[in-house]
Amino acid sequence: MTQTTYQVSVLRYDPATDDAPYSQSFVVPGDETMSVLDALGYIKDNLDKSLSYRWSCRMAICGSCGMMVNGVPKLACKAFLRDYAKGVVIEPLANFAIEKDLVVDMTPFIERLEAIKPYILGNDRRPEDGPNTQTPEQMARYKQFAACINCGLCYAACPQFGLNPDFLGPAAIALAHRYNLDSRDKGKAQRMPLINSDNGAWGCTFVGYCSKVCPKSVDPAGAVNQGKVASTQDMVIAMFNPNKDGQEVRG
Amino acid sequence: MSNRKPYTRPMPRTWWLDHPFYRFYMVREATVLPLVFFTLSLTAGLICLVQGPQAWQSWLDYMAHPVVIILNLVALVASLFHATTFFSMMPQVMPIRIKGKLLDGKWVIGAQWAAVAVISLIALVLI
Repeated sequence: MTQTTYQVSVLRYDPATDDAPYSQSFVVPGDETMSVLDALGYIKDNLDKSLSYRWSCRMAICGSCGMMVNGVPKLACKAFLRDYAKGVVIEPLANFAIEKDLVVDMTPFIERLEAIKPYILGNDRRPEDGPNTQTPEQMARYKQFAACINCGLCYAACPQFGLNPDFLGPAAIALAHRYNLDSRDKGKAQRMPLINSDNGAWGCTFVGYCSKVCPKSVDPAGAVNQGKVASTQDMVIAMFNPNKDGQEVRG
Repeated sequence: MSNRKPYTRPMPRTWWLDHPFYRFYMVREATVLPLVFFTLSLTAGLICLVQGPQAWQSWLDYMAHPVVIILNLVALVASLFHATTFFSMMPQVMPIRIKGKLLDGKWVIGAQWAAVAVISLIALVLI
């Protein structure tokens, strides 16, 4: 394999000494198999041990190494330096506050995930009842949305989240939709008030970039806008059945 | 003691200029501007129609002005462009399943254009 050198610019920020982030350039040797994450590893091991970044699995499934690569939200382990002939600029995920270097504060993202209760609710089956089987058709309805790895790239791609910090955001709404579509779940009525709110599905202006950058093809923009259809159904049903707080309609 | 001092990056009003995807989105949203002009012209036409033959003729003269014709042509192109982007997003918003199988998006998009063609034909025949 051909050895070469890559120009790598990294946004640096140390809360102990810096008032604002700044760029630092490194020259990283490598070949065409070198990922952005490999380059960061090389920098930390050989050039500057103070560099901070998150990573774990190196195989695009843990979602830890999300960052901006030449302005595009990407998993660092899934982005390769060979694709950036003119050099690569690495920055922390957009729309999140920077804690240190490439590490961002994911608290707003985690809070949103928690809020939508992304787990099966209201199912009183017990282990002795046996497996809660589903038909392939029932599973196909939500399977795509279940592929989310919580990397947060969609939030970095969502200008609505950047402009309105209260927006529930693509991944949380996609996960809510995923459980609402699950035949084993009966928690839709608990999730819909959040989806129905101004900062829920209706806060989305369908820029659609979240789906473009999603490394698992979850299509959060599709989920959010299907959430608008579900929200409309919810409203119409509430009009005809005002005494019932929420309902069990399958979207 | 915590040493945390999170840095929040500002989001300037020009955020959409940084990436072609965002620029395309803003162009899509901006198609509303020529359509506002078209709608206002149409509303003025209705008001003139109520006011009598003289007002109606002045509106017809206004609509025949080259600048107005160009602006209305821009509105037509803008509406077709917006329809193209809107129709292409419909399969994402309303996935249609037939016997459990997801219907290919091109059928959903094609059906919308077919509806446009039928409605346009009806409008042409009526007018």
